[in-house]
Order: sequence, then C-alpha cells, then structure tokens
Amino acid sequence: MTSSVRIFFLGGLTSYRALFSWLSPWVLVPTFVLGPIFQILFFAYVGRSAGVGSDSFFLIGNAVQYASIPCLFAMGNTIDGERYSHTLGLLLVSPARRTPLFLGRALPVIVNGFVVSLFALVVGAVVLGVKLPLASLPLLAFVVAVSAFACTGLGLVTAALALRVRETATLSNLVFGMLLIFCGVNVPLSALPGWMAAVAGWLPLTHGIAAARELAAGAPFSAVARTVGAEAGVGAIYLVIGLVLLRFLEIESRRRATLELA
Amino acid sequence: MEVENIQRRYRARTGIRRRAAREVEAVRGLSFEVERGELFGLLGPNGAGKTTTIKMLITLLLPSGGSARVLGHDVVREAREVRRHVGYVFGGDRGLYERLSGLDNLRYFAELYAVPAREQRQRIGELVELVGLQGRERERVEGYSRGMRQRLHIARGLLHRPEVLFLDEPSIGIDPVGARELRTTVARLVELGTTVLLTTHYMFEADELCDRIAVIAAGEIVAQGTPQELKRGVVEGRVVEVEVFGDAQSVLDDVRALAGVTSVSVEERGQAQLVVVRSDAGAEVTSSVLAALAGQRLGRVATREPTLEDAYVELVNRP
Repeated sequence: MTSSVRIFFLGGLTSYRALFSWLSPWVLVPTFVLGPIFQILFFAYVGRSAGVGSDSFFLIGNAVQYASIPCLFAMGNTIDGERYSHTLGLLLVSPARRTPLFLGRALPVIVNGFVVSLFALVVGAVVLGVKLPLASLPLLAFVVAVSAFACTGLGLVTAALALRVRETATLSNLVFGMLLIFCGVNVPLSALPGWMAAVAGWLPLTHGIAAARELAAGAPFSAVARTVGAEAGVGAIYLVIGLVLLRFLEIESRRRATLELA
Repeated sequence: MEVENIQRRYRARTGIRRRAAREVEAVRGLSFEVERGELFGLLGPNGAGKTTTIKMLITLLLPSGGSARVLGHDVVREAREVRRHVGYVFGGDRGLYERLSGLDNLRYFAELYAVPAREQRQRIGELVELVGLQGRERERVEGYSRGMRQRLHIARGLLHRPEVLFLDEPSIGIDPVGARELRTTVARLVELGTTVLLTTHYMFEADELCDRIAVIAAGEIVAQGTPQELKRGVVEGRVVEVEVFGDAQSVLDDVRALAGVTSVSVEERGQAQLVVVRSDAGAEVTSSVLAALAGQRLGRVATREPTLEDAYVELVNRP
C-alpha cells in the first residue's frame, strides 16, 4: 500500500477513533440509537394527529435526514477536534497529502451516517408498523449510503471552516435544522415556498429522501436512478468545495496566524 | 539552516463593539545560520519571538518578510520538502490524541510522515524504549503523567528520523531526572548527526547542550555566539550575590549607581531576596555594595564567576 492509501484508510479510521468524542456509549446510544427513533415518532404522531402525510413519509424522511448528525458533527470534529487537542498544527506541518488525509477522514463518517440511518429506518418501520417491500431494502440501503456520502460532503465544508473559526458544532446545529426544513423531510417540497424548494435542490439529502420514498412505494431503481445520481452529484460538489476550502484556509491560516499550536 | 532577515507581523484585535486592530511585530528581522549537526539554542524571555521563529521554520507560519532555507529548501516555496525532513517537539502536555494509546499516537504520526509499514513496528519499538515508555505504550494517553506525555512527544518527533529537529522548550514540566535523560537523548541525537534548534528557559540546559546560542529580545537578536563567548562578551567581571532579609527593592537604585556595577537583579528566595550584582572586569565592588545595603539585614554574601544566566539577564535587560 502506498502512503496515501494508508493515510486514506488507516489514518482516517484512527483519526475517527481519536477525535469523535461521541464514541463513548453514554453519548452514542442516546444520540445514534434513541435520537433518530424519537425524531421519527415525533413527526409521525404529529402527522397522524394532523391527518397529513403517512407514517412511511415521515419514517423515510427522518431516518435519512438523521444521517446528518454524524455526517455533520463527526466531520466537523475532524478539524475542530484537532484544534481542541492542539494537534492541528502538528497535522498541518506533516508532509501528508491533504486529499487522502481529509477524504480518509470522511470514510468512517459516511459509514457511521449510513448505519445510523439504516438502523433508524428498520427500527422505525417496526415500531410504526410500516411495511417496506423486502425487495426494495438493498436499494434503499444503497440510497441511504449515497445520502450519507452527500451529507458528509457538506460536513467537509463545515470542517474546513474550523480552520478559521472555533466551535463548528454551532454551525452544524444550524445546518441540521436547515436540512430538516428544506429537504422535504416532513413537508413535501411542493408545499414549500418556491425559493426554498429551489435551494433544496442544491442540498444533500433532498434527492436521496425523494428516491427512497419512491423505492419504498415499489418503484424500480431505473425510475429513481437520475434522482440518486443527482444526490451523488450534490455530494461530490460539496466534497470538492470542502477540499478547495481546506486548501485555501490552510494557506490563509499560515498567512494570518490563525492556528494555535500549543 | 539559513535564516535571513526573517520577520513576522500579525494583527491583534481588541474590543467587541468597536473592534480595533493593531499590528504586532513578533519577529523583527532575525538572521542566523545553523550548520549541519550543530545544536543551536534560541534564548529569550516569553514573547521574544522564539516560538514564532520556529513556526516559520517548520512551515506553520509564513514569514511577513525575509527568507529562510532548511536543508537547502525554502520554507515558503518548498514547504512539503521541508516538512519531510524536520521534526518538531514542543513542551507541555497538549498536542496528543488523548483517547488513543501512546502506541496508536505513534502509529498515526508514522503514517502522516510516510514511515514505511515494514519499518514502523521496529522504529516505534525503538523509540518507546528510547523514551522509557515500554510497558505503558498500550495505555490511553489521557492517563499519562505530564512527563510521560512529554516523552511521547519526543518519540513522535523522531519517528521519521528527521535531519533537523526543532525542540521548543521540550523540558518544561519534566522532573529533574526526566530532564537529564532528555538532555542525554538530545546530545546523542546530535552525535548521530541530527541538527537541533532548541529553545529553553533553563540556562544550564542551554549551557550544557548548545554549540552556539542566539539571544532574542523583543523580536531581535541581541547577541549570538558560543556559551563561552556570550559569558565573556557580556559579563567579563565578577558577580556578587547578597542575601537580603527585608525590602531590597528600596536600595537597588543606590547599588546600580555604584561605580563598576553593570547590572543588578533580584530573585525571591523564600523569606530572603537574593541581590545579584554584576560588575566590570577589574572592578572590586563587594565592599561598596555592602555599604549601600547597610541598614538591611543581610545573610550570605558570595562572589562567583559569571554564568550563562548572568549573561542572559544582562542581554535581555539592556535598554
């Protein structure tokens, strides 16, 4: 394995273990196990009492959207956590190539988002009694994975901003709320104001949630291939923006002395 | 290492509503050279610009002016080449991944520095032994003492066998035995051909280790040379130390005004204050100093040869 490949796989996993403080069971279980179920139940029961939507609509929207918790926060922590532990300077004076270094950090985050989302989808379906077609489950899992990838792309952008500002968790909270409102999670895009629906098209999760709902309704993959492609495309755009921003802000941090080393 | 008129300015901001920015000159045109295999010391008070200088040389900060080359590579244009060949160790107990074991910390940095996989195990084992962490390396760093963390820092900085090692106050917080072991390790690295740039506040450490020293004050080099040259060049005379019980500060101006006295400083020593008087070569000031201190309750009086610390105090206190 070349050093870049090792940095991508081994380095990414090590930094995830080192920096993501939620790996403690006391934080992990409430956040990744109970949190998404509570969110799904809350919106499903609101929908039932208001007589709008269906359990399936709320289940899929919220299960997929909950991937944004690890994707935004864990990704943000890949820089913010370095700043907190005073290792950011050491990382930036290493000769490691930045693209595999930071993309490698995204890989465990994508897996984390995927697992959380899929778990929420399956458990939420059992609790609410939603019957998902068995044949669609592998494809649903694939769409969830693509959505987690796209959301991690946005997470990389917020992570890059940690080179300039502290406490990206505040920003991640804001973005989480924005995704909840804009991406058709609980309100169909058709019911949102036009500008919000237009913005939603450029956000991660919007296309993933739409594709997942169609698959759950029995549509074949060919019917959602373009939508899934759009989700992957949005994720790739954010990933590139994140890498460019990282590069730019790293140079700026050397110029403006915005990093703390010790 | 060739450093030519290197400068670093940054903007410091104050206030919340009416934000004001002022430009601070942290480093004001330092020039020095360090030969291969040399141990070069940078001494100076807090805020003198030592760490800023190191940050520029390890490519973490861009200089505002001037230039620097490390192993022939420009620190601005060839940053990645510089990074491959230099190591950096700073003092204190931060800068490690707390939730990882010492071993995993070393493995991770070995990856960052592209230490070949087949060499990593052996190299990490050697370094764990070198810094005396064998048996504790699989424990999480969050349970390490300050000294253990500092030793882990040193192992981390040596993973990729750097040709140039920057040690920024590496012995801070280490117990005397650990500090002595550190000095032995540094001396051994220099013997093996590593070039070392060291900053420290411990003068005996600099005196024992450094081939040459530059003293920095307020971002400028105020003296440069071997420890012996600095001692000779600055303090050629004698040093008189007088223990005073009471208010020594009130008579310091009288002592400073004595003929032949070049500088006076006071150190707190429990209930006593130690008045350190440095004098010109050939000047006999002991009796006049004691006369100036008449009225104070005096303890031990001693004269001695000047040390590097005397030279340092005089250099950084020059107007």
